[in-house]
Amino acid sequence: MGRMTFVIRRLLLLIPTAVGVTIIAFFMIHLIPGDPAQTILGIHATPQKIALLHHQWGLDRPLADQYWLFMDRLVHGNLGQSLYYGVPVSGLITSRLPATLWLIIYAGVIAIVISVPLAMIAASRKDAVRDHIVRAVPLLGLGMPAFWLALILQSELAVKYRLFPVTGYGSGVIGHLHSMFLPSLTVAVALCPVVIRALRASMLNVLGADYVTTARAKGVPGPRLFVRHVLRNAIIPAVTVLGINIGFLIGGTLIVEQVFSIGGIGQLMIGSIFQRDFPVVQAVALVFGIMVVLVNLLTDVAYASLDPRVRFDR
Amino acid sequence: MRKRTALMNFLIAGSAVALLAGCGSSSSGSNNSSSSSGPVRGGNLVFANPQDAQSMDESTIFDNNSIWILEQIMQPLYTVTDNGKGVMPWLATGYTMSPDGLTYTFTLRKGVEFSNGKPMTSADVKWSLEQTMAAKAGWGYIDAAIKSVDAPNASTVVLHLKYKWAPLLADLSLFANGIVPNNYGGKTAAQFYQAPVGTGPFMWDYWHKGQGLKLVKNPHYWEPGKPYLNSITWTDVPSDNTRQLQVTSGQAQIDQFPAWATVSALKSTPSVNMTLFNSTETNYLAFNEKVKPFQDVNVRRAISLAINRPSLIKAVLFGNGKPANSLFPPQVPYYDPSTPGYQYNLAAAKAAMAKSSVPHGFTTTITIPSGNSDYATIATIVQSELKPLNIKVNVQTLDPNVANANFQAQKYDMSLTLWTMDIPDPDELATFGLDPTSGAKSFFTSYDNPTVVKDTHSAEQITTPSARQALYNIVQTDAAKDAFMAFLYYSPYPYVTSSNVRGFFVTPLGNYHMENVWLSK
Repeated sequence: MGRMTFVIRRLLLLIPTAVGVTIIAFFMIHLIPGDPAQTILGIHATPQKIALLHHQWGLDRPLADQYWLFMDRLVHGNLGQSLYYGVPVSGLITSRLPATLWLIIYAGVIAIVISVPLAMIAASRKDAVRDHIVRAVPLLGLGMPAFWLALILQSELAVKYRLFPVTGYGSGVIGHLHSMFLPSLTVAVALCPVVIRALRASMLNVLGADYVTTARAKGVPGPRLFVRHVLRNAIIPAVTVLGINIGFLIGGTLIVEQVFSIGGIGQLMIGSIFQRDFPVVQAVALVFGIMVVLVNLLTDVAYASLDPRVRFDR
Repeated sequence: MRKRTALMNFLIAGSAVALLAGCGSSSSGSNNSSSSSGPVRGGNLVFANPQDAQSMDESTIFDNNSIWILEQIMQPLYTVTDNGKGVMPWLATGYTMSPDGLTYTFTLRKGVEFSNGKPMTSADVKWSLEQTMAAKAGWGYIDAAIKSVDAPNASTVVLHLKYKWAPLLADLSLFANGIVPNNYGGKTAAQFYQAPVGTGPFMWDYWHKGQGLKLVKNPHYWEPGKPYLNSITWTDVPSDNTRQLQVTSGQAQIDQFPAWATVSALKSTPSVNMTLFNSTETNYLAFNEKVKPFQDVNVRRAISLAINRPSLIKAVLFGNGKPANSLFPPQVPYYDPSTPGYQYNLAAAKAAMAKSSVPHGFTTTITIPSGNSDYATIATIVQSELKPLNIKVNVQTLDPNVANANFQAQKYDMSLTLWTMDIPDPDELATFGLDPTSGAKSFFTSYDNPTVVKDTHSAEQITTPSARQALYNIVQTDAAKDAFMAFLYYSPYPYVTSSNVRGFFVTPLGNYHMENVWLSK
């Protein structure tokens, strides 16, 4: 099977996945007690006002009808209207998705930039002091709560030294790179230990391979040996680890978005759950589902591209 | 015919401001002081809010974060005075009232233009009031006394009432009665409120939902020389700590509602001013009278008497509040400081309990929303303080939406709740809290004292202030003696501002006039 056929087949698999996500998201949010009309009206809610809003939003119709209406709109490219904001859901998502994508991609890049050299240092001499340090210190990143690390970075680098803004998404590419550095670093720090360990283990494995011994015997210098022969082969398992973790990250950027006040899709999701803004929750869940599938697809494609032994039909 | 002139109205407002200057609010700095060179023009002020606005539709919105922003765009005929106890002319300059009290004729301020440059006329006022009157799922009830609105000429508006209605001016000062262009300038309501137009000091720029909402200076604003700022951006910053860091780092200039735990430290932070503005926020413990044994006044009294308010204030507000003695807060007209709301007295609590239907105690539940640390603290203290009465309290923590729904459906035993005033008149609160036939069923307690209900509605139609005061004193006393809720504490509004922010002031109703704010160099 060619690469294109593989990609198309995987993209087609998105359809049942998306339908599954809509069913789960739709019925789960409706199972949770609570009422969007009550949220919006607050203490001024009366049965009459609630009934009026329910009728206006179609929430007085049977649940199956509401789901059918949602799907009907969806196939026509309409994600519905936010009950809370009273604006199209698609607009809310498209305005917030870039911030989350920036966060995830930027964090991924920072994680790679940190992890690759550290893994190389660790693998260059197994069980040496530097190996133990590289393996142990980044583990702190796993144990450190994101909000705490974020707070330290904000206090030191943003408030004390004023190197970065405390919060926000910035504007323009340079603005985004500047403003999103601290939040992305916060996410990356949690990602690094996993990637470093995967990469180190894989490098040690490759270092013992015959072709590396041959390259050494032929007098290939150390740094070149690492970059040209070891890294390219060792990075393959690390790509899988990174891909899986980015999948988790998509659903887990909320705290970082919250602390750094980045109006991303994670923040939208949580706010909408609290407000019982059903159409937004359904749409964001759908987007999350699609993103996870796409990241997995990209991981598979990248894996196959890096390792010619991997075939697309496996 | 009684006539109140513009001069008289300004005198009332002036005395209110003077009174306020005497009462003051606590602050570490003087962010209302002006420099000798006068206000500086220009600049963008960033206002960090804990929550995003929801909608700009003034006739249907109940969310404070939206209300306080839209008030910078759309203005009513009257506005609340700085002490929160009266109104002063705003887009109207005065009114006359017919002898039967059923017709009010308002004169509109000359030279007022919308931000699109079109003059404001009586047709705009008529349209605006009629839209709010028709908002059944919104604020329509606040204008329920208005029968019809006439616009006999461009600068005169006549309101015909169904019955005599004392709170009319207070009702007209509500943001929901803000003036918008006739027929929404040819747009639908939904289109109009995506980028509303008004006569206020600022006009629409953009709203990136969940990120920021920006208003820019209205070049047609009617107050000479105002506003001073070029623009204001409200940002959505849910984390208390992040808002504080933004202000201390200079990324934002105003932090709305910092955490109580940080108030003391912020008071001694040199780069900011920590101000506690007088507010109308009152916190209560509600008893559901549909559940046994809360129909028993002695049980309610016993619980009210067993709660140590100063301890609550120390634990929750870090000392920045006052014990509540009435359903009404002190910043509301007709508040009676001598109202005998129950205060901590364990011996009296035990005596009340002994007289009750459950002298040996009972088991009950206090419901609180999750994620609210203040309420969690109060619930724990109440749980502990009711032990000497042999009342075992289970704390039930629910998702905020569910907790609210259960409260309003009266599926609770005891619940914590609060109120802030929308208008400078006690009528809305009194009806909401004391009338079981209102939509709120006496603050969702089902409390029903026919005398209190009768007096509450009588006070709506008495236009003589002294007679209204006398009646509201009786209402407050009766409600306090019945202990239909335990009145817990009055809380101020905490705000942190950068030290270069000048002229920022919050009324007890929570609104602020950003046209008076400027940034010093």
